[in-house]
Amino acid sequence: MEKILEVKDLNISFHTFSGEVKAIRGISFDLFKGETLAIVGESGSGKSVTTKAIMRLLPEHNSEIKGGEILFDGKDLTKLHDKQMQKIRGHDISMIFQDPMTSLNPTMKIGNQIMEPLIKHQNMSKHAAKERAIELLKLVGIPKPEIRVNQYPHQFSGGMRQRVVIAIALACNPKILIADEPTTALDVTIQAQILELMKDLQKKIDTSIIFITHDLGVVANVADRVAVMYGGKIVEIGTADEIFYNPQHPYTWGLISSMPDMDTDDEELYSIPGTPPDLLDPPKGDAFAPRNPYVMKIDLEQEPPFFKVSDTHYAATWLLHPDAPKVEPPEAVKRRQNQYVGTKGGK
Amino acid sequence: MAEKQKLLEIKNLKQYFNVGKPNEVRAVDNVSFDIYKGEVMGLVGESGCGKSTTGRTIIRLYNATGGEVLYDGVNVHGKKSKRQLKDFNRKMQMIFQDPYASLNPRLKIADVIAEGIDIHGLAKSKQERMERVYELLETVGLNKEHANRYPHEFSGGQRQRIGIARALAVQPEFIIADEPISALDVSIQAQVVNLMKQLQKEKQLTYLFIAHDLSMVKYISDRIGVMYFGKMVELAPADELYKNPLHPYTQSLLSAIPSPDPISERTRKRRNYDPASHHYEDNEPIEFREVTPGHFVLCSEKEYKLYQAQSR
Amino acid sequence: MTNKDIVISKDLFEPAHVDPSKSEKIAKASLNFWQDSWLRIRKNKGAVISMIILILLIIMAFVGPFLTPYEYDTQNTKHNNLPPRIQGLENVHWLPFDGTLSRRDGTEYNAYETRKVDAYYWFGTDNLGRDLFARVWKGTQVSLFIAFMAALIDMLIGVSYGAVSGYIGGKTDSIMQRIIEVIVGIPNLIIVVLMILVLKPGIVPIIVALTITGWTSMARVVRAQVLKFKAQEFVLASKTLGASNVSIIFKHMIPNMFGIIIINTMFSIPNAIFFEAFLSFIGLGLQEPHASLGTLVESGYKSMIAFPYQMIIPSIMIALIMVCFNLVADGLRDALDPKMRD
Repeated sequence: MEKILEVKDLNISFHTFSGEVKAIRGISFDLFKGETLAIVGESGSGKSVTTKAIMRLLPEHNSEIKGGEILFDGKDLTKLHDKQMQKIRGHDISMIFQDPMTSLNPTMKIGNQIMEPLIKHQNMSKHAAKERAIELLKLVGIPKPEIRVNQYPHQFSGGMRQRVVIAIALACNPKILIADEPTTALDVTIQAQILELMKDLQKKIDTSIIFITHDLGVVANVADRVAVMYGGKIVEIGTADEIFYNPQHPYTWGLISSMPDMDTDDEELYSIPGTPPDLLDPPKGDAFAPRNPYVMKIDLEQEPPFFKVSDTHYAATWLLHPDAPKVEPPEAVKRRQNQYVGTKGGK
Repeated sequence: MAEKQKLLEIKNLKQYFNVGKPNEVRAVDNVSFDIYKGEVMGLVGESGCGKSTTGRTIIRLYNATGGEVLYDGVNVHGKKSKRQLKDFNRKMQMIFQDPYASLNPRLKIADVIAEGIDIHGLAKSKQERMERVYELLETVGLNKEHANRYPHEFSGGQRQRIGIARALAVQPEFIIADEPISALDVSIQAQVVNLMKQLQKEKQLTYLFIAHDLSMVKYISDRIGVMYFGKMVELAPADELYKNPLHPYTQSLLSAIPSPDPISERTRKRRNYDPASHHYEDNEPIEFREVTPGHFVLCSEKEYKLYQAQSR
Repeated sequence: MTNKDIVISKDLFEPAHVDPSKSEKIAKASLNFWQDSWLRIRKNKGAVISMIILILLIIMAFVGPFLTPYEYDTQNTKHNNLPPRIQGLENVHWLPFDGTLSRRDGTEYNAYETRKVDAYYWFGTDNLGRDLFARVWKGTQVSLFIAFMAALIDMLIGVSYGAVSGYIGGKTDSIMQRIIEVIVGIPNLIIVVLMILVLKPGIVPIIVALTITGWTSMARVVRAQVLKFKAQEFVLASKTLGASNVSIIFKHMIPNMFGIIIINTMFSIPNAIFFEAFLSFIGLGLQEPHASLGTLVESGYKSMIAFPYQMIIPSIMIALIMVCFNLVADGLRDALDPKMRD
């Protein structure tokens, strides 16, 4: 598969009143053409910062890219000038934000907002751009686009607005679409529709999507591959099936088993104790160690490297080291592993 | 449940905003249900369906437009003496949604938790007050050292536990939890839900658990009510509701929850709900009817017969 | 993403024990609101320097008049209109403290030598021979007093009016807001001029005149805040616990508004100083022999060409106070504004 974006050893810090917050501590991943990569993690794990860095939308006065590269189209995005970056933003890489209520300009007609990037990046005439805007609205499933194109954002419901936001993001057929919790602010039934729409569109126009979310249900629905982030690092990365049915990192175990499925009943929910690390002063060794029920002495001393599970599946935990003792994952994870082996065996 | 004693009866509760004006909103429209002692009643629905308003009206944060709320047979609304009000305040407590907005940023944690103790004079001396605070902190899994800190130093999950401790300080019997986990991270949600379940067992609490996350509600609740545009459309024991949803809105809601399971997600079929699909006649009485014992659905006479046939 | 070969001894893979209570530990030192704000404002150099200057000015306003042997209201017509002259600095040619004045043709002369006065008036004297150094500091004192009093009264009225209006809400709120609109609707200057004419010029009338309309902006700000806090969950929580209205306002709302109240007051002080100076300048301010910065500028302005120092020195003082207060208020806003927190 063709790599479209490569992030290599990215380090990002924020300078705050209390000191330097190491928000991203050396992450690397690739994005392939036409795939959906979901980045999962809790608030503060650095998932949003990563994508903002790709878009170069980090606040300039207090953030700093300390090291690493973001390679797109042979260019390192971290080193581009603002002018060059503007050409990429909205054209090659575009973004959908969480809150559809605030990501549209309330004083501008929907049509004009869609036409803006078309006129700017593709030098379309006004007339052609309007045609294309109507076409796009139709594509994202908005009824009567000829009328809707002349309306203002407040005339649209939340779900419809998110559709418009998607239309704007897709206007120039971007190579990469970054979706930062695009359905978190929406109700479940609307969320389902938007997810369906995004999957549909991806097939049609063949973009790669980076999908940020904290909701594992959404991940299972959209993702081809999943990266799990914790404490400013990727702790496990693999295909969706690998992450959901054969997870290796104890944090992933915790995440998956702390969600009740429809059958869990009276047993106590598995929960990860404690709270996420303070990145002002990240702990020595593995950042997850203080909350890890399987913690070993080495976790407190050294950060684990990535261990290979399969060609597509890597996890950063010392449990995968050949010298590590065999541990039993939580019940829910074992059930999943068996289920997966079962379905595979059935084929 | 061995004995089924009604703790709370909500009868035809109505909460309208901007009454009589063109922008009148019927946030809660004729909702009736009972809550039994020691159970967890779940309330689900999408934003704007009136589930939070229902909770807030029950605890008197809003004055009801109509209907009544009986707590142990006594009406909560209407004119009350100060003494009666204080009694209600001790029996009924609330846990809020936003852990960042629900604690006063200028108060130390000890003072946040002790507010109820102070108001109701539950501690005779300063020392006793602090001991109660330490005890409550421990109950929710925090410790003494946290008492002298300010809310902004805590994480979301910790703050939510402090909010629980504040509610527990007055030793309530009934707690309304208004989306207590929806602002929390996944790994923290389980902590809070476990804590709430454990407290319920230890202190024989009754909960009204309001949420939009159906899988958590299913896990914690004994019975679940589904709300849609201010009306309760279905009410049933949790398992029954998931196995045999009757109202088309409940069905669409259930079909929309994404589950953390890629294989089943790939084959899932979603159902959309269209209110027009009922084809109600103009004067057809639409009522909340008991289809099977304990399973209520908002439906017409015709639908009622159909649902009964389906459930057999 | 390759599996690096690291040689690690096997005993490191034994299970370790992590104290579960440790994971709840908060590493950061506990800071309350004021300590946190101080840390923030300390980083704002302009605000810190301004604060130091203001403190010095306030000290001088009280101490200054006693530093010279001359009283601020003692007239000595023999010594009138003398330029500034300071011991030790009189020989530094480029400083304006050498006691020289320039004639209309541009030549300079030493006024003290020509008139055979053996004295040092640090800021010079006015047309009645009163020491300007004493008068300037006395004037600063009076101006600051008027401004502080006006701001304080504005704050007291504004906060209570706004809190009551916002908290009760409904019809009461509507009526109280209409009253404010009426007050704001009448041109400020007209009210003030009428007040002064009725009450006769003096410190108290000026303060009354300033506060009669000045509290409205504070009231509006506080009302908006109260409305915001009314819907906040911590206020709702307190209500469900059975807290009284008084305790909700004083324990939960006002402490959270301290920042905004202080900022608003800090911005209203320089406004009051400016307005007082303006009133004095148009002749409605304090009367002789009392001094305020405004009256000093006004009397200096009459002989601006011949004796420029008589106007320049009090003008600099006004400008300095205004700039410093605004910079401090700006710094406080950045430090105290809850929107900038976290």
